[in-house]
Amino acid sequence: MSLERIVSRVTSNQSRKLAEGHKAIANAIGYLDEQFCQVEDLQDEASPNFVEEVVTLFFKDSGRLMSNIEQALDKYPRDFNRWDAYMQQLKGSCSSIGASRMKNECMSFRDSCGQGNVEGCMRSFQKVKREHAILRQKLESYFQLLRQAGPAGAATRPVM
Amino acid sequence: MARKMIRVLLVEDEEINRVVARAALKAAGGGGDVVDEAENGAVAVQRVRDAAAPYDLVLMDKQMPVMDGHEATRRIRGMGVTTPIVAVSSDGLPADVEAFITSGADDFTSKPLSKEKLGIILAKFRLA
Repeated sequence: MSLERIVSRVTSNQSRKLAEGHKAIANAIGYLDEQFCQVEDLQDEASPNFVEEVVTLFFKDSGRLMSNIEQALDKYPRDFNRWDAYMQQLKGSCSSIGASRMKNECMSFRDSCGQGNVEGCMRSFQKVKREHAILRQKLESYFQLLRQAGPAGAATRPVM
Repeated sequence: MARKMIRVLLVEDEEINRVVARAALKAAGGGGDVVDEAENGAVAVQRVRDAAAPYDLVLMDKQMPVMDGHEATRRIRGMGVTTPIVAVSSDGLPADVEAFITSGADDFTSKPLSKEKLGIILAKFRLA
């Protein structure tokens, strides 16, 4: 994600709301990787809300997958294969929108599964949940500010 | 620039990945493509078997419920189908790639799919 590109847009745009939206995305730097830019690039006039639709899908999917994992951790003790399979799905979902920090925690969980490390899995899963909550907050702020900025915001959305 | 219309079978259990893949395919110049979807390997095998016209490309996920990508690839090849099958997986370890190729896939690409990756695939199989 290019901070330079974000800054260049902010300095050229007078809208306070739009600038706030850009700041929200700048704030998300580190949480989202280049894949999020790829998703943004797929948005066009025919699919003007594509990014938000994909993000909404992500949170719907990830919520379900995390619930599956939580249940599996409880009902299937030390079933590392099962835990790993669920987490692989969640990791894949994270990759789709560029949720890099959350993806990294998914990978830590899978490493712990490979080592047969129950405590490591539990710790990693808590971190996955935390990253999920933070990312939701940041993206909700971003989309809210974009909506407030109106069509001008949509037309000059920050290219990350 | 628009390219010729192709028939693609997208085999992927996660909806978000299907949505992104479909958009990436369209962005790679395929606004007119016929894109069928299958949520697991068993459905994919059925789609291939029942297709009115052969697919030009199959994008095959690895881990899916009911039937995984390896098995689906083996079964499709067992039907004598020669359509290019490209494995798509977030696990890019050499052993995973080799397992897919052994199953009968022609190529492998990592998730998530992008316009650029699809462009490379389409060019490789002369579908661009």
